[in-house]
Order: sequence, then C-alpha cells, then structure tokens
Amino acid sequence: MAGPGGDMQWCFSQVKGAIDDDVAEADIISTVEFNHTGELLATGDKGGRVVIFQQEIENKNLPQFRSEYNVYSTFQSHEPEFDYLKSLEIEEKINKIRWLPQKNAAQFLLSTNDKTIKLWKISERDKRPEGYNLKEEDGRYKDPNTITALRVPVLIPMDLMVEASPRRVFANAHTYHINSISVNSDNETYLSADDLRVNLWNLEITDRSFNIVDIKPANMEELTEVITAAEFHPHQCNTFVYSSSKGTIRLCDMRASALCDKHSKLFEEPEDPSNRSFFSEIISSISDVKFSHNGRYMMTRDYLSVKIWDLNMENRPVETYQVHEYLRSKLCSLYENDCIFDKFECCWNGNDSVVMTGSYNNFFRMFDRGHRRDVTLEASRENSKPMQVLKPRKVCAGGKRKKDEISVDSLDFNKKILHTAWHPQDNIIAVATTNNLYIFQDKVN
Amino acid sequence: MLGRGVKRKWSCLEELEAEAAPAAVTEEKQQQQQQRAEGEEDGGEDEGGLPAAPPKSETSHLQQRQLVLGLCLEKLQHYQAGVELSLRRSVLLVNTLRQIQEDMRSDGPGTCVHPDSCLLRGDLRRDMPVTCPGCAEGVGGHLPLSSPPEFPPQEADGSHDPQKSLPAAAAATATATATISAFSDAVNAMGYLGDLALDDIFEDIDTSMYETSDLPSAWPTGSPWPVGVSLWADEDVKLRAAGHGSSSGSLQSCLLDLNELDHIMEILVQS
Repeated sequence: MAGPGGDMQWCFSQVKGAIDDDVAEADIISTVEFNHTGELLATGDKGGRVVIFQQEIENKNLPQFRSEYNVYSTFQSHEPEFDYLKSLEIEEKINKIRWLPQKNAAQFLLSTNDKTIKLWKISERDKRPEGYNLKEEDGRYKDPNTITALRVPVLIPMDLMVEASPRRVFANAHTYHINSISVNSDNETYLSADDLRVNLWNLEITDRSFNIVDIKPANMEELTEVITAAEFHPHQCNTFVYSSSKGTIRLCDMRASALCDKHSKLFEEPEDPSNRSFFSEIISSISDVKFSHNGRYMMTRDYLSVKIWDLNMENRPVETYQVHEYLRSKLCSLYENDCIFDKFECCWNGNDSVVMTGSYNNFFRMFDRGHRRDVTLEASRENSKPMQVLKPRKVCAGGKRKKDEISVDSLDFNKKILHTAWHPQDNIIAVATTNNLYIFQDKVN
Repeated sequence: MLGRGVKRKWSCLEELEAEAAPAAVTEEKQQQQQQRAEGEEDGGEDEGGLPAAPPKSETSHLQQRQLVLGLCLEKLQHYQAGVELSLRRSVLLVNTLRQIQEDMRSDGPGTCVHPDSCLLRGDLRRDMPVTCPGCAEGVGGHLPLSSPPEFPPQEADGSHDPQKSLPAAAAATATATATISAFSDAVNAMGYLGDLALDDIFEDIDTSMYETSDLPSAWPTGSPWPVGVSLWADEDVKLRAAGHGSSSGSLQSCLLDLNELDHIMEILVQS
C-alpha cells in the first residue's frame, strides 16, 4: 500500500527508554534533534539530561538492517536551580537542543533550559599515552635527579571513551522562559528567544548578548501577545522569524536596524468567521516554526493544523493540513483538561517533500506535499516487532465506526507526541512518546 | 464562613447538558449518544477521554460562555507554590476572559448576567459602575455585587437583594469564582462600614503585614479590583519600594492577599 513519498512504508526499527507504564517524571522526553549528518541523535529530558545516540553504519549489502542507533553519550546538562529573589524553582528540563555544524573531530551542541544555554563539546578518546618514566609504581613523582633517560610516551589504543564537557555557559540574559534557540548559518552567532524577547549571541562570548526583539509593553497589563518560537533562515544569516501566541509570524532582517521590533514581513491568515469560538485565539497560537531546508518556505504548527508558507506571500499559507480536525468540536473539554495548551512541534524531511507532526493517542501524522497524501501512524509497544510495518490508523469523527477505526472519545489524551525529528538525508524518523523514543525507517523494497 | 472555589468535575459538564432547554435535546445529540454507545468498547468514559459536546443553540452558547468563564477564572486562580506560571498560558487565559467580556457586553442590557462578569467589567473598565444593570430583571433597581445568601446580615444597607432571578447555569459557576466574589463582598462591606472609625475596629488586630498603600484607597471608590494589581509580575523590576508590597506583585501574592482579606472579613463580621 502506497504511503507518503510514493511506495514508502514505515517500519519499526528501535525503541529506547523504560518499558514500564509508570513514567518517572525526569524521564519525560522534552526535545529530539538529529545532527547535520544524521549520524547523531540527541534527546533531552525533564531531568536535565542529554542522551546522544550514534548510528552504527552497517554493512550496506544488508538493506533490511540498515543501521541502529546506540547510546553514544549521556550527560547531565542542566541542574535544577532556585531563584531566591522570586522564591521560584528554575526547572532543569531541557527545552531545546541544537547541533552546530561539525568543524573538527569534536561535536558541539547547544542545550537550553528555561534560563540558561550551554555549549557542550562531545569528543572521542580512543588512544591514551603510555610510557612516561616520570612516576614511580605507586604514583609518586620521581626525583628529577634520578631520571637519566628521556622516554617519549607512545599512544596506544584504548576502549572508546566519549566525553562531554561544557565549553560555554550563556546565562542571565533571559527574564522569561526560553522557548527557542537557533544557530545561524554564519556559524558564529545564534539566537535565543523567550516569551517577550529575542537575543543574539556570539558563540564565543558569554558575558554579552544583543537584544534584537523586545515586545514587552511599557505597562505589563497591556500584554496580550507572547513570542512562542524563533528560527534563523537556513542560508541568509541576516534573516530570522518569530511566531506569536496570536498566530502571526514576523520575519525580520537584522540589516535594517539593531532592534528588529519592526518586522520586514508579517505572515497572518485571516480567521475563518464560521470557525470562531472562545477558543479561537488559543488554538491559533503557534507552537513551532521551521524553515524548509531550501529556505523558500516555512512551516508553522498551531493546535489543529500545519501550515506551509511561501516566504514571498504574507497574506495566507500556500498549504494547510489538518492534523486532527475531529478535535474541533471537543475544544471545550480540551480546554478544561488543559490539553489545548499542548505545544506540538513539526519537522520537514530532507528534500522538503513531506512534513510530520504529532498528535494524541501516540499518533503522528505525515503529509506528502507532492502527492497530496497523508497518513496517521502510531508509536506503540504493540507494533514493536523488528521491521514490523506500521499500519495506518484512522480516527472516526462521527457516524458509524468502521472496523479498525478508533473513535474520538476513545483517544488517550495523556499519550501525546509533541517531539518528532526527521533524518536530514534518509527516511529515518525519531518520534518521542512520553518517555520512549521510537525510531522508524522506511522499508526498502 | 465565606465560600471557597470548588473543583469542577466532569459531572458539571453533564449537568449543564441536562439543564439545557428541552429544545436542545436534538437529533444530533441522540445520534452522538448512539455513536458513543456503539463506539466505546468499555461502555464508560476512558481515562483521558472526553464527554460529548453540548448541542449548538443560543442557550448552550450562553452556557458554554459561563462554563468557559468559570474555567478561565479557576485556571487563573490555580497556582502551585514555588512553580512559575507560564506567561503564554496566562496571556491566553486573560485574552479569553476579555473575549467573553466583550461577548457579554454585546449581549445588551436585557440579558441577565452573572455578577462575576460584572466584576470583570469593573476590572477592565473602571469607569463603569460596579453594579449589575442586567440583573435588574424581576428585582428592579440596581443590585450590588453581592454574595450568595450566606453573607452575614450585618450588611443591611437595603440595597442587597438575593439573586433569585439568576438562571441555574449562572449559579452553577458561582462557586468557581467564590474567592473573587468574597473579595468584592469585602469591598461592599467596607463601603458600608466606611463611615465607622476604622481604627476602633482594627484596634486589636495587628495589620502591619497587610499595610499597603493601594488597597485601602481603592475601597471607598467602589472599585472591586485593587489599583495597580497585575495578573503577572513585571519581573524585570526585581526590587520594589516598601509599602507597595502585594498590590504590584504577582498573581500569587495577589491571591494570598485575597485569602488574608477573607480572614479579616471573617473577623470583622463575626465581631
């Protein structure tokens, strides 16, 4: 059966994380990100830890077992802190991870919690020097006068050791909660965005950052809109976008002025008056914005839909995909149980032909832009046999429920897929349920 | 004892559906019930599942509005000590509240509105009267922002009438906003008692903790909301002058003060 991308079918590959249903809060996955080659896959969790998986490049002659991701490095990125002035805890939860393009043997990534961004260096060590003649057997240094020969130590192989060390800490620049970080294409700067401000940093400088967007009103009682996400353009180092809780996206050019409060472009779709309700604004709040790899489009995710925007057209998106339209009649209940505030992310595949986002009941959706096809798949332990093909799922919104369909009222709203990632080149996807990471790949025919 | 907020249960949603006018029992609802009976394997509501949506009609629009209003206020009131509120969430909640207000305003004076909505009007439009012209139905004249009947009889200034004319749906949401009602009651009580020598009443109460410059000045003017209270802290200004205390603090400290005012009121009316 054909799926998005032609005859592509998705198969289970791996699942990471604890099996038991009793989820420890610290294990809740809060971000997932492939690096630029796709060889490394990083996850962050609520406990402040980062786990990096590395793809083992298998024998290419065995197509059915292309590659596995195994744990490469685990480290504690952020610790809980206490703001004494406000008597509030600062959560250690990792909100975002972004990889830097690789420049040398080491890998670098930025990880952030609500207040502090850290640059981590992940390096391998597989050799160690041996043959020093400077110490005694018990470790004491020899008296220099007793050393008569110069022995040059030799590097000998050792078991691979992966070390993560914090190289920079970018702190004290955000009064509000950081929701996004984005590395610039110039590889020298990056931006960080909180609810009201966007800051520009140089990767080398930690004691200074430039504020480039500030939407804080003089009187806080006039506040009606917050920043929800921000990202740099993939090629134009002067361009970035930020989205708001009112469903607008602003594109800014840093060449225009030091403070980009005046946008260069404002992307907004007029509201459909027939869909107006008390929840209209909440569901229009954009939870994620992502540029396409080719830099011509951007994608936004609001509560019920995914929209693709052409950067040259501001008044409406070029494509709109409904993620779970059957929830529109349930908004009141979703408001009551707070699900309406859930922030779903979205992602592009490598050639920008397919987009993916998560939903409830551990469902996730893919939209094939070219073939105008979409599919709903499920990440569950039941469908976790090696190379098991995922069967498309269908939700019954009303009327007679067909066999194999699931009715809206049976959906589990505690099982939400907020974070998904797509390998930059291959058809390999990482889907995070509450505390498990699923890796799926396409079945090679 | 003044009423406190009551946690809304799923049953309240179903109550609202049951209280809907007979016309609301439409074919659509019957169909939905049939589908639920067919579709659900467990025969009951799953954990994480949803009740059926109420049918669309004018009555249900008002009911939904009341429901959303109550939920909104409940969410804004609820906070966990030591955990910072999400600014995005707070902003979205307040905007929803404002939208409901606009909707109520556009209903016109003929509609009977819940006193808590009048409180909101007072919140954002301080030039508007504190009273509730819409509640004039069947009673005549103005109704002050008064509590449920358990408010003590000392407030016998004659303008306090029981709200017999309110629809059941509005009463259902009253308990969800009791804390704010209680505060507005305190305001009215103080208005009545305002001509008494305040010092005499407070003689034996140590109010050094509650001394703020803004709150007492707001009461005689009849404004139900303390001047200068923001729903979210201006967090950049970390140091505040002494004496501004709670009035310019966060929602958390505002609500703490409301609770403390409750306490004062209890003492006042019992003495």
